[in-house]
Order: sequence, then C-alpha cells, then structure tokens
Amino acid sequence: MVTVPRGLPSLTGLGPGDHVCWSFSDDADLARAVVAHLEEGRRRDEQLLVVGASRQAALAAVAGLPDRDALIAGGRLDVQATGDTYAAGGGLVPAEQVERYRSAVQAALDRGRTGLRVAADVTGLLRAGPAGRRVLHAYERLADGLVATVPMTALCLYDAALGPELLGPVALLHPVQHLGDREPLAHLSGRGPRLALSGEVDLTEAAAVRTALVDVAGDVPGVLELDLSDLDFLDVAGARALALAGRDLAGRGVALKVTGARRQLRRSLELFDLAVAER
Amino acid sequence: MTLMRPTGSWDGTRLAHEGFVFADDARLVERVVPFVLEGFRRDEPVLVVAGNRVRSLLAAHLGADLGRLAAFDAAETFWRGGHGTLHAYARDLRDLRRRAPSWRLAAEPVWLAREKGREWSRFEAVANSCLDDVPYYSLCLHDARQVPADVLADVARSHPLTWDGTAPVPQPAYEDPAAVVRALQPPWTDRPGAAAVTPVTTPVAARRRLAAAVPAGHRARRDDVVAAGHELVVNALRVAPWAGLATWTDGDVLVVEVSDDGPGLADQTQGYVPPDPEKGPRGMWLAWSLADDAAVRTGPAGTAVRLFFGA
Repeated sequence: MVTVPRGLPSLTGLGPGDHVCWSFSDDADLARAVVAHLEEGRRRDEQLLVVGASRQAALAAVAGLPDRDALIAGGRLDVQATGDTYAAGGGLVPAEQVERYRSAVQAALDRGRTGLRVAADVTGLLRAGPAGRRVLHAYERLADGLVATVPMTALCLYDAALGPELLGPVALLHPVQHLGDREPLAHLSGRGPRLALSGEVDLTEAAAVRTALVDVAGDVPGVLELDLSDLDFLDVAGARALALAGRDLAGRGVALKVTGARRQLRRSLELFDLAVAER
Repeated sequence: MTLMRPTGSWDGTRLAHEGFVFADDARLVERVVPFVLEGFRRDEPVLVVAGNRVRSLLAAHLGADLGRLAAFDAAETFWRGGHGTLHAYARDLRDLRRRAPSWRLAAEPVWLAREKGREWSRFEAVANSCLDDVPYYSLCLHDARQVPADVLADVARSHPLTWDGTAPVPQPAYEDPAAVVRALQPPWTDRPGAAAVTPVTTPVAARRRLAAAVPAGHRARRDDVVAAGHELVVNALRVAPWAGLATWTDGDVLVVEVSDDGPGLADQTQGYVPPDPEKGPRGMWLAWSLADDAAVRTGPAGTAVRLFFGA
C-alpha cells in the first residue's frame, strides 16, 4: 500500500484507515483536538473511545463534547486511562494491545456501529525512558498495520513539550502527521507485507528514521527487509542513518536488507557501501 | 653506468606519486620494467593498469614474470568519469591496504587523451592530499604521442615527482592541490542579470525550488539536480542562516549556484575527495559527482558553488 505522508491542517475529514500523530501544546489544545475528532466520529455513527493520562484527564478532554454524559451512559463513548488501556497486567505489550483494539472494532461493528474511533493521549508512554520508547514504537508500527485493515480511525496525541527528539521517531510511524508547522516528510509503514519507507528522508528526518527503524525491528534474529520503492528522496544524511541503523541491528543479529531503491537513492546508499538487494 | 633506483628513497610508508612522460616505447620499457622487478624483489604486490600498447610492451618484456603481477588490467574500461573512477579506485586501495603493508602501481590514465577525460588532472592533484597516507608508489604513465601538450603541463603540476633517468626527483612545476583545482575548474563567469538569487532557509524548500527550476529539456536530470543542489544547501545552512539559490541556462547547460555568507571553505578540494564509508561528510562529493562539472569560489566573505548539468 502506497502511503505518502501527509499533513493535517485541521482535524476533520478523517476516516477509517487514518492513523494520525498530533502534537498538542496544552490541555485546551488537546481538548480541541479530541472533541473535533470524536464529534466527527459521532456523526459517522462510530463507536468512540477517549484515552487520557488518567480517567479524570480523559473526561476533562471531552468536557466540550456535546451530550458527553449521555454518550457515556449509552455506551457510545468509552473513557479510559492510559494505565487501564495500555498497561493492563503490566507494561504495554504491543501485540496484545493491537488485538484488544481489533476486538473493540469487532464489538463496535457487532453493536451496529460503523467502526471505532479512538483519541488517545499516549504522552506518558513516550516519557518512560528508552525501554518504554522502544515498546511504544513497536506498538505504533503494529497499530498502523491494524488501522490499515479494519474500520478504525486513530488519533494519537503527544504533548509537544516532549520535543522533536522524542516526537520525530514516533511521528514517522504515522501516515498522517501534525507536528506544529513542520511539514511531514516520511512514513515508516507497517501497513504492507514488509516494512516500507515512503516520502522523503533528509537530514531533518535522519536521526528519527534510525531510531524508529531500530526500535520497530525488534530482537528476533533474521533478515529485516526495508522496502524503499515509494521513497522519493534520500540524502547523504539519510543514507548514513540507514547504514547506522543496519549496524545497530547487526549487533542484535538482525540483517537489514534494503530493497526497491531507485537510482537517486542508490547514489546516496553506495557512499556507505550499502547494497540494494533484489527482492 | 649510474645505478637505477626505480623508486628512489621511497620507504613504503606513504604515497609517492610520479608523473612519467614518454615519447617512445624504449623509454617506457626502461622505466617500468625495473620498477616492476624491484617490486617483485621486495615482495610488494605490483599492479599494472594501462592501455593496450603499454600492456603489450610490458607483456613482451616481462615474459614469464607477467604472471607475478597482482593485477594486469586494461585502462580503457576503467574510466567512469572523474568521480566514478576515483571512487572505484579508492575502494580498491582500501582493499589493498587490508592485504598488504605497501604496494606499487603503474597506471596509464589513457582518458587524459580525450576531451572528456581532462578533468582527471584535478583528481590527480587532490590525490596528493587525500591519499597521502596510503602506502603505495603510484607511477603514472603518459604517452606524449597521445596526450596533448597542455594536458601534459597539467600532469606536471599535479604530480610531485618526475623521472630524471635514474631516479624519481621533485617536479619543479608541482603545485598545491587547491591551486590546481582553482586553475583547472570551469571559469567563473558573471551570473546573468535575469538569474535572481532566492534565499532559502530549509533543505526541503530548496528541493521544491530546484525541482521547479529544472527546464523541460533537462527533465531527465531532475533527480540529479535536486539531490546535488540539496547537499550544497545543507552545507550552506550549516554555516549560515540562509543559502542563496540561483539557476540559469548557458546554452544547453543548466547551472545551479548555491551561495552562503559563511566563513568560507577550509578545504576547497572537498568535492573531489572520495567518500570513506567510515567517516566524514560526503555531501560535496555526491553533489559534484552527480553534476557534469563544478566550480567553487570561496573566501572569508562566503562561498559559492556552481554545478553544471548537460541536457
């Protein structure tokens, strides 16, 4: 599936398959985003879910949603805390969490809804140090793959105060990105049969690509294919980042296999003796 | 008879770079055969990359010893443009370095005889600085019957050693690599009045502008233009808050100029130094290798680089 990363000037027009990374500046900004997102889902007859740092925070974020209490009472809107949702039985287990969402989508359909719409402030997970960050990245990749295949619309909310170093990698794992006025350039997609980079990777994305790629690769030794067929541009810094990611992964027994790079990309890759494999 | 010393006082710890010019076959044989045999005596790998004529002369004179050469390759197939050739060459040198403490090479850059191959003199000059610590003797062979006299003058200024009949000696015409590059790059003409300089502050903005500036006749070069211009803008933005971007056509050549008011380039030969996968920024190399030619003007008031793209 071709996914050219796109920006999002306003939070409307989203539908099933959309997986958005949205950075917010404060509580009011967060609430605006959540309400706009869920309000649209209500109009589309979707099941709604809001996830906040705590149940209180989640409730506060939907305070401006018309008929909030009725929606909750009628089972149309679920309100959860990051702790309940993502850390049931301990830390976030990416594959289990994705299955929970898959079940939630099915439950929504069984109740006659058209799909599931989620607004989740997962800032806390990204604050949990490098180990937590790795788990979150692995999870976002799987979630992206899920959203591509079921009637689900996901808005992942991150506090802009996390800063570009933490937000850059996680944003890459979303096909739709809103990080202030920064133009989204690249998407590291878990949507197809293999991991794929699309868009453009230049020095502004390079470090984030390395981090995200190494984190989503996991620890299972073997060959990891990265498909560059839909990548339109790769500069020297981007090629260096891929070479460094390959080195990081080799240390874990994972062989990075780059495929599908067209001529311009090959010129950058060969500066680092990075071979492009046949598929 | 004076004793011949084919590599003089070279001790095998760093690059020795000799430009040898011959006008008849006997002179060539006299120079190269002892050079090869000395290498065999010292147990050094000896490599020969030369044109057909030189190779058949050496084959006839080396006889059975020919099989002892570590390489005996045709130079005609070696040329891939200046950057491609030097890149492949630098890779071969890295491999050799892993296999032997020192070695010697007799090489005939036959492409110097062709108009398109003349840019090689700039790479020969830069090799003196960027390959200085590579432990080999490079004996460069130039046939005065093939190579034009003005190119032979460039050979002299880009090779620190020459041959006096019995030993290598300093070449009096040798010049600093940066000076050679300055002298041999395309002339710096005035920018046409219609070619306005646009300031850009991000690489992505530069890429969008560059893509839009490629004329229809150069469409096939668009990826090259965007990637090369991008790397120059990245470099400019490392030293200045904005980069100036200008494009124009001169006949059927598209010119891309990227300027900045940074402190100037410490090393203006950068675009000719082959990439080492282990270290160093390589944007200049990539930019210059994607273009057909390049010129730089740099000083304390700033730097401007021009890239030239044929249709």
